Amino acid sequence: MDLLGFTITKIRELIEKKTISEKEVNEYFLKRIKKYNPVLNAFVTVVDNNAKGIPLAVKDNYCTKGVRTTASSKVLDDFIPPYESTVTDRLTKKGFSIIAKANMDAWAHGASTATSDYGVTKNPWDLSRYPGGSSGGSAASVSSYLVPGAIGSDTGGSIRHPASWCGIIGLKSTYGRVSRYGLIAMGSSFDSPGPMTLSVEDNALLLRHIAGKDKFDATSSAENVSDYLREMKIARKLVVGIAESYLEGVDEQIKGRFNEVVEIISKMGHTVKKVDLLSPKYSISVYTILQRAEVSSNLARFDGVRYGNDRSHFGAEAKRRIMLGTYTLSHGYYDAFYKRAQKARTLIKNNFIKVFEDVDLIIGPNVPVTALKIGDFEKYPFYGELMDQLNEPANVSGIPSLSIPIGLNSEGLPLSMQIMGSYFNESTIYNLAYQLEKETDFFGVVKKGISNYKD
Amino acid sequence: MAKKNILTKENIIHLAKLSNLQLTDEEINKYLDQLEQTVEFIKNLDELDTTGVTPTSQTTNQSNATYEDGEINEQGLSSQEALKNAKNKKNNYFNVKRIM
Repeated sequence: MDLLGFTITKIRELIEKKTISEKEVNEYFLKRIKKYNPVLNAFVTVVDNNAKGIPLAVKDNYCTKGVRTTASSKVLDDFIPPYESTVTDRLTKKGFSIIAKANMDAWAHGASTATSDYGVTKNPWDLSRYPGGSSGGSAASVSSYLVPGAIGSDTGGSIRHPASWCGIIGLKSTYGRVSRYGLIAMGSSFDSPGPMTLSVEDNALLLRHIAGKDKFDATSSAENVSDYLREMKIARKLVVGIAESYLEGVDEQIKGRFNEVVEIISKMGHTVKKVDLLSPKYSISVYTILQRAEVSSNLARFDGVRYGNDRSHFGAEAKRRIMLGTYTLSHGYYDAFYKRAQKARTLIKNNFIKVFEDVDLIIGPNVPVTALKIGDFEKYPFYGELMDQLNEPANVSGIPSLSIPIGLNSEGLPLSMQIMGSYFNESTIYNLAYQLEKETDFFGVVKKGISNYKD
Repeated sequence: MAKKNILTKENIIHLAKLSNLQLTDEEINKYLDQLEQTVEFIKNLDELDTTGVTPTSQTTNQSNATYEDGEINEQGLSSQEALKNAKNKKNNYFNVKRIM
């Protein structure tokens, strides 16, 4: 049976009707992985899942019991976790299986996958370009249909950035909505797991399965998990905010298409209004200080004693971040940097809370440029911060945000925008995204991406 | 822009020691430049008035989460499992370098 481009929702339906078996589904995707993964390098490890369940890829920073988990760093080259992450545990109990561990920037540090110790992942739209990152392998594998869906993690844009550059749908969940247990920690006060999919419905479906309180993660929230699939289909007229400060320095083609989408949203009967958000540049600074501090602390445990290799195996990016984090936390600088950033974090958070009193959602571009050429990473000293300047405010404040495709640029590369919602309000984000998907089919981007990778 | 020398080479060597990282001379010079640039960049926070603002360490207002007394520890590993990934072990213990 030709499954090419079928969503998770569709595949699940076919399995339930016994039109197709789980074994056939797995063989189908395994065949595609064998054909295209050598070209794309989306996966670090392909897993023997006994041909069971609907196969998904997870970023290689989710611990999978008995299956090598590297975080794309040679420090963990031979690490076999003795326990299972909550995200993968919940998915396998709901009829899914993990068929591959996806490539990423080492330790999730970056927005390109160029810092992976297992080689860069290629962008399926143009093999000479980055897929974005850090969940670049996850995004590339969904866009080229090596898997029908994947899980990433978003600390400072790491789901939305590659989702944008690969033309798929990627959600950064509210901080604490999804358990971080078994997710190799990067910035513990930021890390947010989320689904990366071909459709809004698939995204909502996966989130519903992985969200919710977990006793193994004290920061996970007991807030009720909404029935996203039902709530996203309710016909709602929404109030949508746009902040001028999020359009500064953004590529003209992205901005142009974004403005067209704003018009479409207005024509659909939603209210669009200007809102006043603090400049994203403050979020970059808060993020840079706090995230580096958390990195230096989280990576301290990798000493090669209990697992993995010693610290000489850290790459340049990890070392740079550890050093800065150690600096901002050290005696004499703590108040000037760390504490000041925590206070600014309060201001950014309060700014969002105030704006969400007037609007249901905030929309804007989420990347300043479309996919860059492999090698360009070296040219920018602030590459990651620059790429994620529009994504980081959601991480600093903890709110959810979804990246959706909005067309292709003149070079045929995907364009995107993000929809930000208030805390634990993924439902309203999905609601608008679902309406837009029905209205525009995301300008055919998702289907075009898959059609480049025939069976 | 004139260089302000926020950091010295000695600072970098000290930070590397605190971070338990061995750096080459080339790396020390590179990180000196890069850290200076970053420190310069994050100074834009000085533009925000944070007087009297409470710092945020947790964004979703969670309070302490505790286990009930007597709950079974499901996260515990057997010593065999815990030692499985260690490269240097002896008699069911992790073997480490002498520190005293």
